[in-house]
Amino acid sequence: MTTPTRSAEQTRTRPTPTVGQSIPADDGWPIVTGRLEYVTDRRVPGMLHGAIARARVPHARIDEIDVTAARAIPGVVAVLLAEDVPVNMLGPTEAHGPVLADETVLQFGDPVALIAAVDESTAQAAAAAVRIRTTDLPVVDSVAAALAPGAPALHEGGNRAAHTSFASGDVEAALAASHLVIQRVVHTPSQEHVAIETPGGVADIEGDGVTVWCGSQNPGVHRAKIAGALGIDIADVRLISNPVGGAFGSRNDDPMPVYLAVLAFMTRRPVHLRMTREDVMAVGPKRHPFDTTIRLGLDAHGTITASDMVCLADTGPYVTSGPYVLKTSAELSVGPYRMPMARFDGTVVYTNNANGGAFRGYGVPQVAFPLETALTEAADRLGIDPVEIRLRNILRGGDEHGLYRHHVTSGLRAAETLTAAAKHPWWAGRADWRRDQRAPWRRGTGIALAMKGVGLGSAKGDVARARLIVSRDGLVQIWAGPNHTGQAIDTTYAQIAADALALPLDRVRVRVGDSQLVPESGPTASSRSTYSGGAAVRRVCDELLARVRQMTGADRVDAAACRALIAAGRAELVGEFPLPEAELGAIPAGQLGEYTPHLVFSCSAQVARVEVNELTGELHVLGLVCAVDCGTAINPAGVIGQAEGGVAQGLGYAVMEEHLVVGGRPVTTSLENYLMPTVRDVPPIETILVPGNEPTGPMGAKGMSEVVVVPTAPAIAAAVFEAVDVLPDRLPITPQRLLGWMRGGPGSSGRTRRVGGTAA
Amino acid sequence: MRVNGTTVHPDDPAARLLDYLRDDLGLRAAKEGCGMGECGSCTVLVDGRPVCSCLVLVGQVADGQVVTAESLGDNDPADQPGLADRLRESLVTAHAPQCGFCIPGLIVSAHALLSENLQPTDEQICCGLEGNLCRCTGYRSIVGAIRAVQP
Repeated sequence: MTTPTRSAEQTRTRPTPTVGQSIPADDGWPIVTGRLEYVTDRRVPGMLHGAIARARVPHARIDEIDVTAARAIPGVVAVLLAEDVPVNMLGPTEAHGPVLADETVLQFGDPVALIAAVDESTAQAAAAAVRIRTTDLPVVDSVAAALAPGAPALHEGGNRAAHTSFASGDVEAALAASHLVIQRVVHTPSQEHVAIETPGGVADIEGDGVTVWCGSQNPGVHRAKIAGALGIDIADVRLISNPVGGAFGSRNDDPMPVYLAVLAFMTRRPVHLRMTREDVMAVGPKRHPFDTTIRLGLDAHGTITASDMVCLADTGPYVTSGPYVLKTSAELSVGPYRMPMARFDGTVVYTNNANGGAFRGYGVPQVAFPLETALTEAADRLGIDPVEIRLRNILRGGDEHGLYRHHVTSGLRAAETLTAAAKHPWWAGRADWRRDQRAPWRRGTGIALAMKGVGLGSAKGDVARARLIVSRDGLVQIWAGPNHTGQAIDTTYAQIAADALALPLDRVRVRVGDSQLVPESGPTASSRSTYSGGAAVRRVCDELLARVRQMTGADRVDAAACRALIAAGRAELVGEFPLPEAELGAIPAGQLGEYTPHLVFSCSAQVARVEVNELTGELHVLGLVCAVDCGTAINPAGVIGQAEGGVAQGLGYAVMEEHLVVGGRPVTTSLENYLMPTVRDVPPIETILVPGNEPTGPMGAKGMSEVVVVPTAPAIAAAVFEAVDVLPDRLPITPQRLLGWMRGGPGSSGRTRRVGGTAA
Repeated sequence: MRVNGTTVHPDDPAARLLDYLRDDLGLRAAKEGCGMGECGSCTVLVDGRPVCSCLVLVGQVADGQVVTAESLGDNDPADQPGLADRLRESLVTAHAPQCGFCIPGLIVSAHALLSENLQPTDEQICCGLEGNLCRCTGYRSIVGAIRAVQP
């Protein structure tokens, strides 16, 4: 195995003092000495401990909730039911679900009571003592069951949670006229985030309001949910959302901040609560499982003529991110490719399975897998190199998007990203490497490409803000968002500010994650923190410079200038950055918000080299190359860390991770039977930062932490295809499945090289 | 029982070591990620060996020497003074911690590994760290940081 190299020092960035330098995170030392206090580490004098009583059936009518025994346990302070929650709703509609269930159970693990007690074990004993009498209802255990005629409707409007459909032309005619049509029917699994800190934290009352210390990727939405449930003003909800142990999307849809707030508000005491891993496995949001059919038409030279994709997504019983995930799937159903015409038709469906929510990549891994494997299959059938077929169709900066036909940013570097990955010796030298294979191990190398939109998308009201105050000693303090959940975004913001103001890094202080100090900046999501949050920081710094120039005639933000600003009462500024919107393209006027297209995309191309044991189906991923287009890498080592972590999650998705629910009951119930990569499973990862410059981004930067998850699975599938002539169409590629496909046995859904796609 | 060099007298021998450390002693470096010995976030040294403190009851280590991530340097081998700080420095400069929640447990495992062998092979690093799950980093920066620790 080759030793991994780090490409940070090779990266070309703007010749500025800190941007482009790898700056370790501020909290590095508190972390390695064990002294960083995470939200669940927090202890408050006199605090109570919480627990949640849950229904352990997937779909039932609640006949009775008997809390007599629970309330009788010494040390139990409160047992709260739905009727005790001032406004028992988690969102604006019934489909968002209640805070606590009182009529119907729609998901295994639905909460019915919140308990507060003098210690954690008493609270848990009380939760176990809550008796829930239910009458089972028919379980809607799959998308097919949900859409079947006569299926039980889980919500008033039926079982279709959302539908997105768009066509840019007559796709059927184009497919009929195509030289080759690759059709693939693909299933991608439910994936659990496994943020190592389970949801939890502390809440306390403060005057008429409540302060909650709990991980959140979306403080604005969480504050609104809390205020709504308590019937108080949003201004009376303070949310402090870090330090927190990972997120990856899970803390976007998590109801934990609401539970904490309800407990503290109703008991008038500080309360600590955290979820068990088993509860997170059962009720935490998951990556939506998708059933997808793609038909990709090509001419004899490998030029795409049309794409048609139909997706069914299982979102479980409640609305969280599902409808928005689907919009992202639609936009990226065409990948980073030019398409003369394309169609997407996607439906998000309610079931009694685990709730599908936000997960890094947000609907893109599910559509990239069918699209990229279709291109892999097309290249094979047409006898064209896999890189060449992609380059023939590639979307370049300023081109029209393949589905919505708006012009994308000039900063897109899809072609350069693919080329950078293909130049790596693991791709360029793959034939020699394969010749050295030794039975029963067969070698293969695969490549795949993806892009992902940066920011929430057009017409979504995406605005990031930064607040700046100068102090008498010339120190610049900035409160900015989005927050971070491990990405060291505060360091990135500080680098941008230091360079914008031409100050040393230690003259800038950045704080994130406290809603009382940071102006509303939207979620830590959609690869927008560096891009939008960084741009807001850049803007507030530019405004400070302009103000200093106006008052002192100089460009220097020194102590004298700061004192002048303070004396003039002009020491505080707020900057904001609204996401640049895409033009309409083919989208009808007034419907931009229906499709939320993006102007800016980041890219990743990945190479996987694998060995497959032809006797057992064992699959070893031996190395991964990850080329990334993130424009300017503000903090290159931080970018590489995000890339490596994303690739590892993509690897898990490809070869081992599958959250299983059977009959509405979770089968993968803990980290004992839900497998995620350990140090032994992750091979060397070679990250290549592709030089680029996003003209709308701060210092030329754009976000990249999602797209790196996406190409891993299709690259591994392509490598398996080269190794053993089977192109998987179901993830994860487990040894059992792979062996079955290799033997072509019953239930085989893999496709051998010989069977191939459907030629027109 | 001694914890980080101090003699302690726990009340409840049936308490989990993890809960005793966090709730009674206020040593909250060890974290609970799963409560069943799968994630390794609660790893502490007991008599020099890394163990998951969620799987150990206080009574089982009544005569033990427990060291947590806060005081890892207390357990530096005589021939490797400053090992814990060099390991910490290496992790920070390698940008290894991201969210960092797994790191206090992971660094205990890494310290135990390096205490026995300052130049472990990749296979030995895998053996030493495979009980510690990290979801942020993909492990490569952590492995690199451990390799980079010098005598």
